[in-house]
Amino acid sequence: MPRFGSLDLKAWSATAPVIDGYKTEPWELKNVQTVEVRHEIGDVEAVALLPPALHPSIPAYATFRISRIAESPVGAFGWCEVRVVGRAVGIPVGFVLRCFCDNAAAAREMGARWGYPVTHGESTIATLHYHVSAAVTSRGRAILEVEMRNREQSLSLLPLPAVNLARNNTDDSLVLVQVDNEAEVSRSERGNYRIATLDRDAIGAAGAMRLANPMSATLSTANLTLPRIQYIYDPARPAEEGRTVLA
Amino acid sequence: MKFGLMYEISVPRPWTRESEKTVYDRALEQVKLADELGYDYVWAVEHHFLEEYSHCSSPELFLTACAMVTRRIRVGHGIVVCVPQYSSPIRIAERTATLDILSGGRLEVGTGRSATWCELAGFRANPDDTKKTWDEFVHCLPKMWTQERYSYDGVFWSMPERAILPKPYQRPHPPMWVAVTSPGTEIDAAERGIGSLGLSFGPFKEQEEKIRCYRSVIRNCEPVGEFVNDKVAILNFLYCHQDDAQGLATGGKLIGTFLPFANQFVHAPEAIPSAQQSGLLSALRAHASHRGPSGPPEGMAIGNPERIIRELSKWEAMGADAVNFMLNVLETIPQEEVLASLRLFAREVMPHFRHDTQSAAAAGGR
Repeated sequence: MPRFGSLDLKAWSATAPVIDGYKTEPWELKNVQTVEVRHEIGDVEAVALLPPALHPSIPAYATFRISRIAESPVGAFGWCEVRVVGRAVGIPVGFVLRCFCDNAAAAREMGARWGYPVTHGESTIATLHYHVSAAVTSRGRAILEVEMRNREQSLSLLPLPAVNLARNNTDDSLVLVQVDNEAEVSRSERGNYRIATLDRDAIGAAGAMRLANPMSATLSTANLTLPRIQYIYDPARPAEEGRTVLA
Repeated sequence: MKFGLMYEISVPRPWTRESEKTVYDRALEQVKLADELGYDYVWAVEHHFLEEYSHCSSPELFLTACAMVTRRIRVGHGIVVCVPQYSSPIRIAERTATLDILSGGRLEVGTGRSATWCELAGFRANPDDTKKTWDEFVHCLPKMWTQERYSYDGVFWSMPERAILPKPYQRPHPPMWVAVTSPGTEIDAAERGIGSLGLSFGPFKEQEEKIRCYRSVIRNCEPVGEFVNDKVAILNFLYCHQDDAQGLATGGKLIGTFLPFANQFVHAPEAIPSAQQSGLLSALRAHASHRGPSGPPEGMAIGNPERIIRELSKWEAMGADAVNFMLNVLETIPQEEVLASLRLFAREVMPHFRHDTQSAAAAGGR
């Protein structure tokens, strides 16, 4: 039967944000420019980074999303999200290891409303016709640097819901919160890429994320909707058994 | 209507030295019985790296073994992957011709292309190219089988003039099929005059539309081979039991077991932004859980013989020429129950769909 993640929930929960119930209203994020890399990672490390509710994907892979958001309810901000991809009730989802944000209000709201584990970090995207570079720094330290070349128009990537480990403030329980982002993509390109820098400790992988086979890199422009929360999971039980559908 | 078996060779963990051998041995026992009972086809997939889901990376060897323990049943590649990084078309022509000889002219050649990132990236194949490479391969294969000497200079492969040997036992060549999973492939099949080998569990409405479209287009096809194969086969699960509730429960377990582990694999559209198809596994996961207004998934051959006859009659009315069954997933059902299901189906269901005299003996079962 399919394998399950083996993340140490107790240890991981130290960085879990407190979520303010599950009643958030949607947010509209306008004119979001994103560089997203999907890259295969070592299977053993992926299993260790996924909660027991999720099955690992085959092959194991991670996504690195670096965004500049022009408009949001709290103004412009830079955002980076690192996920390990697994399966929940048959669908691909990305378990969020760490997020980096350069807007304190956005960081606070993303954690309290959707459970994103956010720390301070600045995201930049520089686009030239022949080259795109995206980077995340935190207190002067390079966390993630990606270079993309040979841009060509393409379809957009299959979007993946995010899954965040959070602590619910109403009953102090640990939950996985699924965030089904909706994207209206106006432009998408793909290209060759290189991950120039990856600080594995900073992204919560405790130095243990082995980068394996390259998959794809895209540059996209979209309007995003962060939706109401529909699904939560017990992180310790298979998602097929521990899922709750919210009214 | 004809009936076949479809093998993925799924091997559950924990893997021991014996586990793969046991699954292959059981499959061969099922095929031998199916041959005696009058089933028409045994098909085997070609998959690579799909742990637990399919340990059937060399189907030509399994099919050769099937041919050696049977006398009548036709053996089919369901499918052979037409991507040069997997196999040279020369090797496909040679292997299939040899299998056709060894089976005494019982080979069916299903063609197709891989859909999972897991497999394509494993062979360093570009998902953007697979539809094109498939097209080149299916145009070349019949000529490689029938021409004494052959040369080719194409986009994705080439060869100087050589005699490709041996030649198939069937003349002019074995029937050709293509795996139909993603939308539009039924048109590809029809335009080229090759059979539509359904490899997804679609709901009636969707499958009916595919069959209608196929029938309409194939009338004006330009066949890639020496003859037109205008047959439509669909994929199904089989668990037949006298007690309907038990049949549904066990069959339902089969389907329920299938989904979670088929979903683990990364498919091309999840990995790279491309215009490519969604492919077999994503089609399977999209449809295997499709249910009618109530009860089991629509069109599934699970339950008692009466129920299965009702469901298969709908497929027949829709124009399906053959139904291929998956009998087990991860060895969920004990071998004796699988064999009993095969016997019961042959005895009580098959005769309702046989419109020839040959079937009477076949339906006797044992």
